[in-house]
Amino acid sequence: MSDIIITRPEHDHATRYLSRWSEEIKKEAKKKNLDIVDLHKSKAVRKEFEGRIIKTKPRLVILNGHGSDTSVSGHDNEILVKVGENEEILKNRITYAISCKSAKKLGATCADRKTTYIGYDEDFVFNIKPKFLQKPLKDKRAAQFLKASNQVSISLIKGCTAKEASDKSKIFFKDALKKLLPSVKTDPEAREDVEDLFWDMNHQVCLGREDATM
Amino acid sequence: MKNEKKKSDDEIRRLVIARLSALSADSMKSIGGEGVFTREQQIKHVEEGDEIGQTIEKIHMEWLEAQKEGIINKLYE
Repeated sequence: MSDIIITRPEHDHATRYLSRWSEEIKKEAKKKNLDIVDLHKSKAVRKEFEGRIIKTKPRLVILNGHGSDTSVSGHDNEILVKVGENEEILKNRITYAISCKSAKKLGATCADRKTTYIGYDEDFVFNIKPKFLQKPLKDKRAAQFLKASNQVSISLIKGCTAKEASDKSKIFFKDALKKLLPSVKTDPEAREDVEDLFWDMNHQVCLGREDATM
Repeated sequence: MKNEKKKSDDEIRRLVIARLSALSADSMKSIGGEGVFTREQQIKHVEEGDEIGQTIEKIHMEWLEAQKEGIINKLYE
């Protein structure tokens, strides 16, 4: 049995950022003595993903990676889960997908009274300082977005319901945005970050069973 | 009506390009599964009006619309 499965492909800049910033989630899980199966880099493939879910029956699935409105991908953009193929593996558990637009159809298809899908119904965006491309954890610009996103998983780990976790994440997005507001007239990057934080906050959705907990 | 819509779309495009042009040259954005884009690449996509360009426009316009509706006050409530 495992408590959490997390996918962490790392084949391009975006997935490297998501992967490295997910280490914060792993630390939180360890603090709570939760078992976490980490499908990192080339382990984030369909066969491994499906096999681990069936075998370990995790309570929480965290999906980092690219996606579409019907699917979420892993290593080298191999599709891990897709509507009409294997979406049932997400049933009866909580999924948080930082995979663009997947909440639109994949999330909507999976979610029901026993299944929760927290994700985004549009592209998840974040801004990057190029000098930190190889050191994502030092990138304070990206940190605003990824710390807020991480709050979903961290709050679930701490015992919040799915709705509470999504709300906490949105508070983090809102607080990051409010910190930047005084600078938007003089700093174009602050303005851009405000727009993108607002976008991500607005397009994060919690579907299905809102009172689910780990 | 069609002409008016085109004019409006063109205005939005110009507005977004102007806003993007104000960013520093090394600004980079990750957009979903589409990739990571420099300022110049973002501008090119908006000029071309492709899917990535449309997403960039939507992001800008969503914030501008929200400002018109008083989002800043709501954020501080």
